[in-house]
Amino acid sequence: MIWAKEETLPRAEIEKIQLERLQETAAYIYERVEPYRRKMDEAGVKPGDIQSLEDLKKMPFTYKADFRDHYPDGLFAVDKKDIVRYHASSGTTGKPTVVAYTQHDLDVWLNNVARMACMGGATSEDVAQIAFGYGTFTGALGLHGGLEKLGASVIPMSSGNTNKQIMFMQDMGVTLLVATPSYALHLGEILRERGIDPSKDLKIHIGLFGGEGMTEPMRDEMHKVWGEQFFCTQNYGMSELCGPGVSGECTELCGMHINEDWFIPEIIDPETEEVLPAGETGELVITCLGKEALPLVRYRTGDLTKLMYEPCKCGRTTVRMENLSGRADDMLVIRGVNVFPTQIEEVLLRIEEIGPHYEILVERKNRLDVMTISVELIDDRLLDSYAKLSELEQSIRSELKSQLGLATQIRLVAPNSLKRFEGKAKRVTDLRKDGL
Amino acid sequence: MIKQLSVFVENRPGSLMNVTSALTEAHINIRAIASFDTPEFGILRLVVDKPAEAKTYLTSRGFVVRIHDVIGVELKDEKGNLNRMLSILAEGEININYIYSFVIREGRAPVMVFNTDDYEKAAKVLSAADVKIVEEADL
Repeated sequence: MIWAKEETLPRAEIEKIQLERLQETAAYIYERVEPYRRKMDEAGVKPGDIQSLEDLKKMPFTYKADFRDHYPDGLFAVDKKDIVRYHASSGTTGKPTVVAYTQHDLDVWLNNVARMACMGGATSEDVAQIAFGYGTFTGALGLHGGLEKLGASVIPMSSGNTNKQIMFMQDMGVTLLVATPSYALHLGEILRERGIDPSKDLKIHIGLFGGEGMTEPMRDEMHKVWGEQFFCTQNYGMSELCGPGVSGECTELCGMHINEDWFIPEIIDPETEEVLPAGETGELVITCLGKEALPLVRYRTGDLTKLMYEPCKCGRTTVRMENLSGRADDMLVIRGVNVFPTQIEEVLLRIEEIGPHYEILVERKNRLDVMTISVELIDDRLLDSYAKLSELEQSIRSELKSQLGLATQIRLVAPNSLKRFEGKAKRVTDLRKDGL
Repeated sequence: MIKQLSVFVENRPGSLMNVTSALTEAHINIRAIASFDTPEFGILRLVVDKPAEAKTYLTSRGFVVRIHDVIGVELKDEKGNLNRMLSILAEGEININYIYSFVIREGRAPVMVFNTDDYEKAAKVLSAADVKIVEEADL
């Protein structure tokens, strides 16, 4: 089923909508958002200069750092009284990236999520269990609202508590699971260990995955664990753009359809910042259309992908983005949470008992991401007792937990035992292969 | 009171040897050594003949080292002697954080080393009971 007629318009009509909305957006941000006005002035571009979609190139880029520089609300374009929702995600340092929605923004967002759920095969008959963490992240409440719009029944389970997840899945006849793909694999394996065969004992048949990329080997594993009846798709979004609902896979599984009436994608070379022709892989840049509270133009997502404009067998005419092939920066995705090494560094530098060097090791154990951070002990006073060392370890862990929203493992090592770098430090080792 | 060295060690092959080989290079004689069963990392406790030099050398080789006072008591190698000392401390309500012993002292009485949060009180109750507290020079 296709949720909205905008998903099937001829290209000329999609582009007509895009141009109209782009022109409105350019005028809107120039008038209302001071940092945008300044950037546009510096780039020598006025709203009136946007005469065609080609002219989008003239607009300046927006970076994640702009959120930090204008924290918390310097990029907002409406009065506080018109904002009905805030969300927040990781920033590159201690301050989160805060995003806002008017009622209209929420309606558009959740409609886009409904489209995406529909692309993945969801219907109003489904009983959906949401195993994303609730809270300020956009994933859980985005899928929650979108699936409700679709008419499905929503169980706001949140993440963790595997026993309860399994009980609801069995007792409520859950048909659809929303999770990160790695958590879905973990959950599926625990079901198998308990002698539950999802293909016979459960009604589950749809997985809508996000928060981290799902590789093809992961999808194959998913079928082994959950059974062949389990149809799983992944979707894409990020809180700055709205949250989930930017794009999603349809049942043809040939890339993620971008909701082009609300988002204009471009692919650029992350080094030269030149726009690349369709079909080439580079950094995805997204311009949001029609957003009221937090308009965003040419946002550097940091995600590497390519765009495919060929029509899809599913009937949609919207452009597809290939499943992500990596990052243009050093951001890590740990259990669906975005982590920047700079966030970790900021916490570690505040702790006097340890040195400034650190190493981050990411592994996947029992399908779940484990991040271990090695730090060098330098303060001999902690050697009075093992308890003091152990307290230091605990306190680093809890500082990181509050900064990242994630549990980490800390490894205290002797001074000078971590690698020193002369050029650019390579502090992160990611041992996850194909997400498995 | 005697001086004890505490050295941070990771729980992996060779980490104790790294300490002992550095001490050998520095011509330091080890008199007692103890480490306890801890995950990931631990603290190696040592009594050596030249604690200050040992600390300087180990620090220069990248180890984290701390010197602190511990109590060493001389115990005749007879049945019940350790029990007697521990009873004295227990009656004095002194908590022992950890304890270890010198193994060989060339014919002299063995020494037990222990760590407590209240040295003054421990020294007082032991002296009152005529237990011989060893000084650095006696080792």
